[in-house]
Amino acid sequence: MGVLSRTLKPNFLGLLKFLNNMNWFIVFFSLINLSVCIYEDQIGKFDWRQSYVGRIKFSQFDTVSTAKKIIVATEENVLAALNLKTGQVVWRHVFETASAGNIQLLHVGEKVTTVTGSNPYLVRGWNSATGVLMWEWSLTLQNAQQTDYSEWLVQNNMLVHMLPVFGSHLEVTMYNLLTGSNRGATSRLSAAWSNDGCILTGPYYTCVSGDMGSQLLLSLDVTANAIQFISKPLSNYINLQQSIGGNLRPLDSSVVPGFIVDDKKVILIKEGSFVMVGKELVDETASVAVIDGGSEQIMLQTWADDVKGFQLSAYSISSNSEVTEIHCSDPTMNIPEPEFKAVMCTRKAKEQFACRILVNGADDAVHLMQQGGRVLWTREEALANVVTAEFVDLPVSDTDAAIESEFDQKEGSVWSAFSRRLHSQYTQLQNLIRNLQGQSTQEDSTNALVRDYFNLHKIIVLITEAGKIFGMDNLSGEILWRRYEPGLDAEAVVLYTRRSARHPPHDAYVTVVGKHEETGNGYIISLNPITGNLVGEQTIKLDVRILQCALLHTPDSEKLHALVLLDEDETVQVFPISATSLVENLYMYVAEKESGKVQGYALKYNGASVEAQRTWSVRLGGAGGAQVAAVASRSRLERVRSPGRALADRSVLYKYSNPNLVLFVLDTPDPTHKEVVTAVVLDGASGALLGASQHRRARALPLAVHADNCFAYLYRSEKHRRLEIATMELYEGQERWLEPGAAFSSFASDRAPAVERQAYILPAGATAAAVTITERSLTDRHVLLGLTTGAVIEMPWAYLEARRGLTGGDEALLPYTPELPLHAEATLNYNRTIERVMGVFTAPAGLESTSLVLVTGLDLFYTRVAPSKTFDLLKDDFDYYLITIVLAALIVATYSTKYFASRKMLKLAWK
Amino acid sequence: MKYFCLIFVCLFKNLVCLDYDGWLNIKLEHNINCKNEKFCSRGNISLKSIRAGTAIISQISFTKDHIDELKEIADLDGLYSVRSLVTSADSKETEFLSSVKAKLFLENRLSDVISSWILPNGEVIAVTFQVNNLSQNQSLQYHKGEYPINSNFYVRHVDLAPVPDTASYIQKLDREREAREKGDLKDNRSFLAKYWMYIVPIAIFVMISGVTNPEPAPQASR
Repeated sequence: MGVLSRTLKPNFLGLLKFLNNMNWFIVFFSLINLSVCIYEDQIGKFDWRQSYVGRIKFSQFDTVSTAKKIIVATEENVLAALNLKTGQVVWRHVFETASAGNIQLLHVGEKVTTVTGSNPYLVRGWNSATGVLMWEWSLTLQNAQQTDYSEWLVQNNMLVHMLPVFGSHLEVTMYNLLTGSNRGATSRLSAAWSNDGCILTGPYYTCVSGDMGSQLLLSLDVTANAIQFISKPLSNYINLQQSIGGNLRPLDSSVVPGFIVDDKKVILIKEGSFVMVGKELVDETASVAVIDGGSEQIMLQTWADDVKGFQLSAYSISSNSEVTEIHCSDPTMNIPEPEFKAVMCTRKAKEQFACRILVNGADDAVHLMQQGGRVLWTREEALANVVTAEFVDLPVSDTDAAIESEFDQKEGSVWSAFSRRLHSQYTQLQNLIRNLQGQSTQEDSTNALVRDYFNLHKIIVLITEAGKIFGMDNLSGEILWRRYEPGLDAEAVVLYTRRSARHPPHDAYVTVVGKHEETGNGYIISLNPITGNLVGEQTIKLDVRILQCALLHTPDSEKLHALVLLDEDETVQVFPISATSLVENLYMYVAEKESGKVQGYALKYNGASVEAQRTWSVRLGGAGGAQVAAVASRSRLERVRSPGRALADRSVLYKYSNPNLVLFVLDTPDPTHKEVVTAVVLDGASGALLGASQHRRARALPLAVHADNCFAYLYRSEKHRRLEIATMELYEGQERWLEPGAAFSSFASDRAPAVERQAYILPAGATAAAVTITERSLTDRHVLLGLTTGAVIEMPWAYLEARRGLTGGDEALLPYTPELPLHAEATLNYNRTIERVMGVFTAPAGLESTSLVLVTGLDLFYTRVAPSKTFDLLKDDFDYYLITIVLAALIVATYSTKYFASRKMLKLAWK
Repeated sequence: MKYFCLIFVCLFKNLVCLDYDGWLNIKLEHNINCKNEKFCSRGNISLKSIRAGTAIISQISFTKDHIDELKEIADLDGLYSVRSLVTSADSKETEFLSSVKAKLFLENRLSDVISSWILPNGEVIAVTFQVNNLSQNQSLQYHKGEYPINSNFYVRHVDLAPVPDTASYIQKLDREREAREKGDLKDNRSFLAKYWMYIVPIAIFVMISGVTNPEPAPQASR
């Protein structure tokens, strides 16, 4: 009742009206899904999560426990167990990102042992079945400078730490694995022959030492009580005339200590002597593993051949023969630079070999294979490091395209249009009949990738740090296509949708603009996002570095938006060249990250080519220089919904809706206030500053968002030791500057907007920020914050509003509270923790209420959000039957009562 | 003491939040009617005190040549650029660049707005030129063969951003708690204003029941 009294004007008439409408409200409430969070049975209905571990560093099969697993330790400082049958993560531990979490050693015995960190080291034991921590002890080494060369080894329940001092000696210390107690002091083995080319394999420390031409191959068992020293001239094994000699490489997986000399010969250490394997390496880059295949030892090799594709060969060391069962040569399989991570082979009596081979590629994909190269499962670990992502619309179905093309054709007489109409209706009728006969199934399977009615089904194009590009179905999370680009340095990569799939005869077109791995010059890849094939310009390697890139706002005759690149030497390139004449009124800005200098360029077509003129330049950090921490500009999908907002006194406060606004957040060192954060809002076209503010004793986070006239950025307040979020809103005031409908121009205005500012405390650590985008921006705007706790929370803009602190009784504004509430039900990913949230990407759906969200990090999480609730969608479990029955019953009741009433009247009249 | 602090803060807020005061000199150079060089002098702005913000602007007047060249640029919808070189007490020359549409500059009878943005430590981060979109149809003021430039110069300060205001919020909470401890807030609304939401439904209920159960109509006498 209290709610009613607030929403309704307290007059009698209004209340009567309300009661009159009450039954409509009952219907209305039943239609709208009023819940804030989801129900238990809706888990996984609109969202999915994929867990990744990162590029594999060490791995070992867990053969002890009953459920077969692979224990992996990764470059992302993750320790995980993967199911051997499915490849799914059984358990996972995510360590610190910094060097404190670096995994130095993984040993799988009865328990899993890891050594992590870098002085101090942590030695931990884990239960391999459950992943529970069993023991832990720390280890701090005395001389800290040389610890980088530390080598670790587990032998006979002892942890061996070896620290070589090159050219002098080796320091070997043994610890009890469980307790960390030290058996005696550190033993010093004199090794004047050691150098930085030495390797540790098994218990042997092997070096090539000596003068050129007469090198010796030396091996020392570092764990033996009595010194066991093997020394042989290197010329016994390789021809020193033909090679430089002395390059040692350890075997990737081996049951016996062994190494590769000069990428050619494999030498094993057996019973205190070197034994050379009878077969050389087939390819210099081949990865080699020596396994215990029942009674004999088998050497496996794998490499990628340019022509023959993936190659796997096996060679029995004891019988000097090839093992053909394991051999594989598959030109269709594409594993760049394959590398053995773990190999296990068993031989049951005289039956065939049963092998499990874990192969890692340069594209971070990990494959588990059988003998013969059959892949059991593949994990795309590149997805643990997504750099950027973009949602791409799917094309319309063939029938819809036919209808659209029918209306597209403007020319032709009335009769031809009529015949087209008849023809298309005939085909529609045919389709309908076919559908009724149930023959549409095979058509569906081939044409599954078509746009749905609400445009909720899209393709996510993901670019990963490894240079692998993925196309992913957003509803299922299934990878539709993948493409490995070894030359792409994905550090600063931009992804543009240059043509959506809305123009039927033309395919969708996305372009990746990045740097080339080796040269740092521009590298451009053009793809069809639906199929993953190269289209149009294919791949272009520029011979110059790119300063800035942009899409042309006007499409050419093929509906393709041209790509405009500004080079290092301020020349402009346009792709395709035919669109050069379309460049008009294009402005770009270039910010120098290290100095805070921002420059603006005006691009113009002068009849022959496009030239860039430097038009403005500012130094946002002052003369002293500053670091640009974050830049936020408007999303290309963003629209402005209303020119102003109504105030309590029924006047309108007009927004300053300049589409060219850019927010720069800078970190500046300051002599008096240690460090200050400067936030500057400027017009990207004219270079005019519109608002600026400064925070003292604060450090900026690389998180800033901008939508419409609102800005938000995060910084760490060093004074209060907390995270704060500052917001800015720009307003024109109570009067409109321009006539309604007049086009805004950055150059034709000398007025400064009013800047409203506010700051709030965020009681959590944030690592990612984004704003929701909807089709027409009619729905509320929410800020999505990825937190260090693994949650992604939805923060309505009403909480962040810069005008919130104002007094004056504006009922539309919440009263000011310094701390932002983090409600548990505002967490998008409920209990599905996302480890290391890196980015949040949003895209509009066809439904106005809904925005699609992809969260990247170590895990991928996709969901959809409805900031103003799903006002345009029936709720999930809407009871169609009930409402139909009720409606039918009502109609029947109406007519029957009408009939009875008329009969009654007739009877009354006869009385 | 508290009040004193408050007054002091108020005063300080009204003042410009500058750590140090100093002088400022801005040399203006533009890109029209320069013989061979890219930029040539347009004038000079000097401030004795940044805090006071009063500037002495001395600029050249445009001649016929200037106007002709400006018109040429305007025909191509080009930009008129001004380079400003800023010197202050504790920094050496810093260069800024800003441009306006030549067409609008002409239409506005050579009047522009120059704003100089200054950090609290006295450093200049930007000098920007803007023109208004009020296209006045009056022709340029012709004054002894010269066209004077009308420039308005503003010093804009980068303000200190607000910090989350915990102190006053806690005070507010304290006040509310005290009020609650003292006893409930006196509700001085009238009886009807307070309890209308209970009275009205009852009244309606009575009314509706009155309507649905009408008095049996008196038998029509025939």
